[in-house]
Amino acid sequence: MILKNGIRHLLISALSDFKRNKVRTFLTSLGITIGVLSVVMLIALGLGLKNYLKQTFESLGANLLIVMPGNSFSGEGEGGLQSFGPGMIGGIQFDEKDVANLKRIQQIKYIAPVTFKSTTVEADGKKKIGYVMGSTEDIFKVINLELLTGQQFSKSDISSSAKKVVLGYSLAEKLFVDPKEALGKTVRFEKLRFRVIGVSKKKGDNEMDNSIILPYKTVFGSINPDKTFYSIYLSLEKETDIPAVKAKAEEVLGKRYDKNKFSVTEQSEILSTVNQIFSIVNSILVAIGSISLLVGGIGIMNIMYATVTERTKEVGIRRSVGATEKDILMQFLTESVVLSLMGGIIGLVLAILLVLLIRLFFPAAINLLSVIVTLVISSAIGIFFGVFPARRAAKLPPIEAIRYE
Amino acid sequence: MIKLQNVYKTYFLGDEQVHAVDNVTLEIKEKEYVSILGSSGSGKSTLMYLIGLLEHPSSGQIFLDGKNVTSLGDEKLSQIRNEAVGFVFQSFNLIPKFTVLENILLPTKYAKRKLDFNPLARAEELLKKFGIWERRNFFPNKISGGQQQRVAIARALMMKPKIILADEPTGNLDTKTGDEILDLLESLNRDFKVTVVLVTHEKDVAKRTRRQIYMRDGKLVGKYL
Repeated sequence: MILKNGIRHLLISALSDFKRNKVRTFLTSLGITIGVLSVVMLIALGLGLKNYLKQTFESLGANLLIVMPGNSFSGEGEGGLQSFGPGMIGGIQFDEKDVANLKRIQQIKYIAPVTFKSTTVEADGKKKIGYVMGSTEDIFKVINLELLTGQQFSKSDISSSAKKVVLGYSLAEKLFVDPKEALGKTVRFEKLRFRVIGVSKKKGDNEMDNSIILPYKTVFGSINPDKTFYSIYLSLEKETDIPAVKAKAEEVLGKRYDKNKFSVTEQSEILSTVNQIFSIVNSILVAIGSISLLVGGIGIMNIMYATVTERTKEVGIRRSVGATEKDILMQFLTESVVLSLMGGIIGLVLAILLVLLIRLFFPAAINLLSVIVTLVISSAIGIFFGVFPARRAAKLPPIEAIRYE
Repeated sequence: MIKLQNVYKTYFLGDEQVHAVDNVTLEIKEKEYVSILGSSGSGKSTLMYLIGLLEHPSSGQIFLDGKNVTSLGDEKLSQIRNEAVGFVFQSFNLIPKFTVLENILLPTKYAKRKLDFNPLARAEELLKKFGIWERRNFFPNKISGGQQQRVAIARALMMKPKIILADEPTGNLDTKTGDEILDLLESLNRDFKVTVVLVTHEKDVAKRTRRQIYMRDGKLVGKYL
């Protein structure tokens, strides 16, 4: 009862002091607000990126193996992580012979070699950036691409190098406003004309939604002068076949290339590697963000020292009517914790609002953990940076304090 | 009630040792009305703070109701100050950001035991008795000096102390108001049987008390010089 009353008294006392110094209170807790805001936002964006990658990878078909140049995902070899990135510059490139060799592996259900290039697409008098993907008809099954309208190209379209394309939903929308309108229209890029035979459903993946998928042979000699592939997707019947097929594919390709120059990767491996990279990047960003929290804490400490000096006489008076050193310590500590916590909560609320806004176009997320951690850290900052000024107040000799003017 | 035995309070001014209180042995009995008279710098205020347990003696013993309280810790000493001692200062020492009522209630916030009275009811009783109930929601700077000192006395009485220690309580007041405050302190002693110790440098003020203690250079002396 006495204790409960005590805490109430401390809180009321702290809040009434803040009311008297509104501007100062606001500015002091602003430091923490900004710190918390930046840390929570960075965590939220990091989580968002993770979600985004997960969605992207999950939207690819299951039981997938991806053949790529470089040795990026094994963590060994000369390339290492450095060779990770679009284009894999400097790596080997695969050709039709590799595809034919791989096709002989029994357990492979679909095989889709892919060439990839970004280009400017023209239609209806508009110019837009699109990503040209040359592949086989299997690509639609491998990456789970469903059509909104029209049809896929066929095997014979590949052998005849037909100038037929399937547009991604967003690209079709940019060029023709209504994506369905694109069907049967002509698009131009790289000085060639193509007929739109299909438009894919929206996938939520920027590259896929702005893609131009066409038979790979169609762009041999033009966009793809070397007749090579950037990667080869292997889709398997059963998940249990993955290790066996992986080994076989490595053996087959190993006959032509150095084992360190290519990799056969499961998508789960890629996902975990990418996640790892982003976790590290995110941790570094959060650490940098935490510096602002530290600065905010120092701000609180600074103000608390000033407050203690300002209120020396008050401390003396309180001591004379029976306040213990501990009472005084608790009084100032309560103030710094409330100050810091207030800043933290405001920062958190702002972060939640911002994240709600960002979620409209990016799957950022705030988890319960970051809320709890934020509140705990804010309180901890209040205690840590408040305890020194509070101790100074508590240790003031009562007589000197009471005579202080 | 309070006994000081060979009490010293020593300060260092640079290398020089100063005895603010120099070997004082003194007893103040219950229900006494006593003044400590001395010129400025005589150590009378320091002596008062020692009696009020707000200051630790450099050496010597202090007894409260026969119990040695010299080496008690901060918690215990604070509790005694809270429950048994009421301070009244020359400059009133009200907390400016608190209203009259909040100032008076302040000691109850530091009570370590369950109070045997209702704080608000007691505050009301005291304020009404001192004729400042209408001023209860005023801030200290909005009321007169005499009223502020009444508030300070009410605060000192809040916890039903055994002893009131008043350090030049009339020092910041005009003669008439000062007399009223002295009347009030006298009535506390007379009607409520509270021990009152009055610290002053004015003979006229000291004369009103039943017993005078003279102090010079930190020592108790036979008479005022």
